[in-house]
Amino acid sequence: MSSLLKDVNLLGDNIPWLHDFRQQGRLVFADKGIPNAKVEAWKYTKPNMFLNSDFAWVNSENKTGYKPELPFDCYKICFVNGIFAPELSDFPPETEIMPLIEAIMLHPEVRERIGKLANSEQHNFAALNAAYLNEGIYIHIAEGVKINKPVCLICHTESGGILLMNNLRNLIVLEKNAQAEIIEYYNYSGEQKSCYFNNIVNEIYLGEQAKLEHYKVQDEAFKAIHLAINSIEVKKSASYKSFCLQKGADLARNESLINLEESCAQAEVNAVYAMNGWATLDITTDIRHLAAETFSQQLVKGVVGGQAKGIFQGKIHIAPNAVKTKGYQQHRALLLSDEAEVDVKPELEIFADDVQCTHGSACGQLDAEQLFYMKSRGLDEDIAKKMLIDAYLQEVIAKVDDEKVIDWIKLVLKLPEEN
Amino acid sequence: MTTPLLEIEDLYGGVAGKEIIKGFNLTINEGEVHAIMGPNGAGKSTLSNILCGKPEYYVSSGKITFKGKDLLKMSVEERAREGLFLSMQKPVEIPGVSITPFLKHALNSIRTYRGEKEMDTVEFVKLLREEGRKLNLGSDMLKRSINVGFSGGEAKRLETLQMAILRPDLAILDEADSGVDIDAMRIIGEGVNACRTDKTGLLVITHYQRLLNYIVPDYVHVYAGGKIVKTGNKDLAEELERTGYSEFVKEQA
Ligand SMILES: Nc1ncnc2c1ncn2[C@@H]1O[C@H](COP(=O)(O)OP(=O)(O)OP(=O)(O)O)[C@@H](O)[C@H]1O
Ligand SMILES: [Mg+2]
Repeated sequence: MSSLLKDVNLLGDNIPWLHDFRQQGRLVFADKGIPNAKVEAWKYTKPNMFLNSDFAWVNSENKTGYKPELPFDCYKICFVNGIFAPELSDFPPETEIMPLIEAIMLHPEVRERIGKLANSEQHNFAALNAAYLNEGIYIHIAEGVKINKPVCLICHTESGGILLMNNLRNLIVLEKNAQAEIIEYYNYSGEQKSCYFNNIVNEIYLGEQAKLEHYKVQDEAFKAIHLAINSIEVKKSASYKSFCLQKGADLARNESLINLEESCAQAEVNAVYAMNGWATLDITTDIRHLAAETFSQQLVKGVVGGQAKGIFQGKIHIAPNAVKTKGYQQHRALLLSDEAEVDVKPELEIFADDVQCTHGSACGQLDAEQLFYMKSRGLDEDIAKKMLIDAYLQEVIAKVDDEKVIDWIKLVLKLPEEN
Repeated sequence: MTTPLLEIEDLYGGVAGKEIIKGFNLTINEGEVHAIMGPNGAGKSTLSNILCGKPEYYVSSGKITFKGKDLLKMSVEERAREGLFLSMQKPVEIPGVSITPFLKHALNSIRTYRGEKEMDTVEFVKLLREEGRKLNLGSDMLKRSINVGFSGGEAKRLETLQMAILRPDLAILDEADSGVDIDAMRIIGEGVNACRTDKTGLLVITHYQRLLNYIVPDYVHVYAGGKIVKTGNKDLAEELERTGYSEFVKEQA
């Protein structure tokens, strides 16, 4: 049995549903364990090479003194070392929002939505996450409601030498016509080499014509491990739009599994990765067009230096009945050093006629002519490179609708100012 | 008394394993304007690129001294900060990098190198607008990405604008007049003259005498077969326009 499964006392285990859900996760993970390179979906990432430390779940109070700071106004929901920190959080008033465990206890109807999109049987790390189901948030936005400010889930880690394992599971439901902007922000303080494991599952349900902007910024310690599954169900004419900035980690993976379930459902997945050192980052998407006139667009761009390794696995599936569907996928990467590496696996499964579906991927280097031009006007090589990288990533960053978020993303990326 | 700005001594060099410059000598003193004319493919741009330190261009022997220092020991950016500027024959497009922040970084790198205070954004934008106006480059143009979608003449005016902002001690104009209409040529000529002091040196590479009406050379050199084969005054440019280079090219052959 994997050392990641330890005997722990979790809240609410006397509730049969909760006990069974955790137990099932435990059994599946005990059986399947950490995928190795023989598992197709993980062949480039090899998580078994990274997850060999003795990570453990620790239930401790927040004693870190961390104060969440963001350069824009938002509702903050904070987790410190994997534990919800109510004293650092404020909830939007127009929304039903509470710790997931509380929702499970108080509102049994939410239970059927948990584990449905991110299924333990199919996803090893969703199973591990289920085994420890305890932390995370439930956000329910009622029909026609629009939240006036972004809701920011801040996950701060300050492990201080402990091999922490944080299993967070968020359930986000937007009813018909509801609208929201949700930001996930993963950060840390303390030593760069502090080692911890964030194992995140997001299950997101978008009702008819609902609109979600989902942004994520992952800026973690370089020895951290960050695995995330985002499973999204998109109903008729609803729209899911994401942007993800990842700076890698010892191992980071972000999976977006999107089901465009009803006609005219839309999904846009945009991502930027920027890595150095020995970081590894895997972006995996699986967009399933299951109804007519659905639309998806993916634009992923990366900049990889040092001995870092980027992985992009992008899949578009178009079901037989999904006629008049459009699916587009683009991946580009800049390799800044000889030892940087990018592996790409695009996959198209098209079972319908009368669809438009394209994909493309390219890896290149900074343009020597451009670099020479800039340096010949006196610019430092570093600044010239940064400006070229900024220009390269700008195309994706510009997809973010919220200008304040754009500024923040540039700040996290440490790109030079515009003027 | 004359102070040498640039001294090139017995230079040999080239690109892509091909020796193009073969025994080139030239001294430019402070305040002097030198024009170089020569047939296509003779190696004029190769010389410019070697002077600026462009990576794939090599020097096999010879010496280049700029303001008393060994130019060949300096990086590309150091040469620029020391006061060398090249208005390029074919300026590259840089999508996504806007002119304004780029030039501000460039100017401030040079100022910092010289121990001067950095210019703030407000002051810089004002300066850029003023200089832009003189070169007929409006603030809409200055918001655009470097050279992206610029017409031939616009790109050459942008090169001249950069010279006006950076105020080099020695500027090499590699065909600042190619692809440029008659009015723009005057604007460029006047623009270049406006940023000259009595110490500024100019190396003007051109195929046509017309630009030299605005930027009047002290010397005109004929460059062929990798070196200077004839030197004269500004009348030589007019003569070349009538006779062409056949005399020199034959001599080389
Ligand atoms: N990067 C390069 N790789 C290979 N050959 C090159 C390169 N740059 C220049 N050359 C060659 O070197 C020779 C000299 O070229 P250069 O551009 O210096 O000529 P030029 O005198 O500036 O000509 P023009 O008047 O047409 O601008 C040409 O034969 C050219 O093809
Ligand atoms: Mg040339």
